[in-house]
Amino acid sequence: MNLKISALEYAEGVQNGSISAEDFVACTLEQIEKVDEKIHAFLSVYEGAVDKARDIDKRIKSGETVGACCGMPISVKDNICITGEKTTCGSRMLEDYVSPYDATVISRLRDEDAVFVGKTNMDEFAMGLTTEFSAFGPSYNPWDTSLTPGGSSGGSAASVSAFECSASLGSDTGGSVRNPASFCSVVGYKPTYGLISRYGLVSYANSIEQIGPLSRTVKDTAFLLDVIAGSDPLDNTTVDSTGGYLSGIESGIEGKKIGLVSEMTGEGIDSAVASATSSAVSKLEGLGATCEEVSLDMVKYSVASYYTITATEAGSNLARYDNLRYGYDFGVEGYEFNSYIERARSKFGAEVTRRMILGGFVPSAGHAGRYFLKALKVKSKLSREMGHAFEKFDLLLSPTVPVLPFGIGDKIDDPVSLFLVDINTVTANLTGRPAVSVPFAVSGGRPIGMQLMADSMRDAELLQAAFALEQTVRLPEVPI
Amino acid sequence: MVTEDEIRHVAGLMKIKVDDYSGYVEKVNAMISYFDILDSAGVESEEIPFHEISVSSLREDCHVPFDGSLIEHLKHYRGAYVRAPKMSR
Repeated sequence: MNLKISALEYAEGVQNGSISAEDFVACTLEQIEKVDEKIHAFLSVYEGAVDKARDIDKRIKSGETVGACCGMPISVKDNICITGEKTTCGSRMLEDYVSPYDATVISRLRDEDAVFVGKTNMDEFAMGLTTEFSAFGPSYNPWDTSLTPGGSSGGSAASVSAFECSASLGSDTGGSVRNPASFCSVVGYKPTYGLISRYGLVSYANSIEQIGPLSRTVKDTAFLLDVIAGSDPLDNTTVDSTGGYLSGIESGIEGKKIGLVSEMTGEGIDSAVASATSSAVSKLEGLGATCEEVSLDMVKYSVASYYTITATEAGSNLARYDNLRYGYDFGVEGYEFNSYIERARSKFGAEVTRRMILGGFVPSAGHAGRYFLKALKVKSKLSREMGHAFEKFDLLLSPTVPVLPFGIGDKIDDPVSLFLVDINTVTANLTGRPAVSVPFAVSGGRPIGMQLMADSMRDAELLQAAFALEQTVRLPEVPI
Repeated sequence: MVTEDEIRHVAGLMKIKVDDYSGYVEKVNAMISYFDILDSAGVESEEIPFHEISVSSLREDCHVPFDGSLIEHLKHYRGAYVRAPKMSR
């Protein structure tokens, strides 16, 4: 069984009878068993997935119409709720939490007969960009297990890259889908804010985070977006989807104007990443687009703004973890209320604790004007700068991450160095714009992704450009 | 600079207890010092935008039946009540 086919090739194969959903899902679970000891992409694996796939085969044989996913094996980041399954958020605090309901994205995929194969590893409560802050140990990059797979959706990206699923769902607060997609050489998508329902996603920073797909091809991402995007009465921040992400994907980019963001390609960029970016510009121009530099002055302040806002929102969101409504087995007898909560929260990891302390500090009386309010103002001005840029350009281009994938442990003790890895990705979150990471090059065995951004609700146009760029490259296979 | 006492105070407000507050001073200070870059952003006159949503646009607050007993998802309950620690010292 060839597990390396795309999600769409799988669906086509099941529909035309050349692939058995049961066999494919069984082989996928075997692949997880074979490689996940080294990769540690999964926190839980669903053995019952094979039974669900068998049912899909039976329904097809009996002439019944099945959903567009046709039993496609999909992994899900462990901060997205699936009924009756654990949702740990990579935290000891939620080690035993079982969700009583499905996230909207899960319901929509279920309606199209997707099969979930398990939940993937992540930095605790999505706070990190390497998965090293998972309470259950880090994931490893399938390209080189001494490297981080990126994060916080590192398990999702690694699972797609290592053929442990056909596609995955992650969440992207400041690049948490695109960063690991770049590090693991898969496609990672952050939609326009509101395009995908966040109902059932465990909240970290509500005002900027989004669920996004990770897949092996841009077409697979467009297909998944067609399934999961659109307004949801359970999430008032959602917007209607135009749909047609897959159907128009081969429209090309002839005549498009693309801005290369100078603040994302300058100081601190790795030479191999800079070279790949120049190559991407040449290839896009070769497809009929015109490229020129554009300056977004506020990008310099975007990372500080991002961490200030997310720490504040995280401080508020994590206040719900009092171990009474959600939590682990820790008796209440003999404790006063506040001391019980303090004691229970000792299960939070060091990074989450640091961010909670930051989240208490930056919006506090005496400091809010200096940090939180300024961060909101930078966010506002950055959004306006992006608006001006999109009056002139159809798309913006940058490398997804300015550095190559780095080793496990290399940056764990240097929070500011880690912050700066996010510099090219947080802008899309702060401004609500859609962005995609496309696998573009491999340097010394380390993948490099290119990021394209578009104006709000231009997701279809963005995917068309991503597909066009993807078609210009032939990358080596992941050495797993 | 944030002192160990300030970290202890904020942690208390956030209801977090850690064994060694001094271990947090260096990294939290590094983070806060990095945020000082916001001072040079020149955004003092910038307005912070917000979106208004009318009450009629919000979803209806309706009862959704649950096929099961939600309280059984809790670790500590007795009958129909959540068990919590006592509120006074």
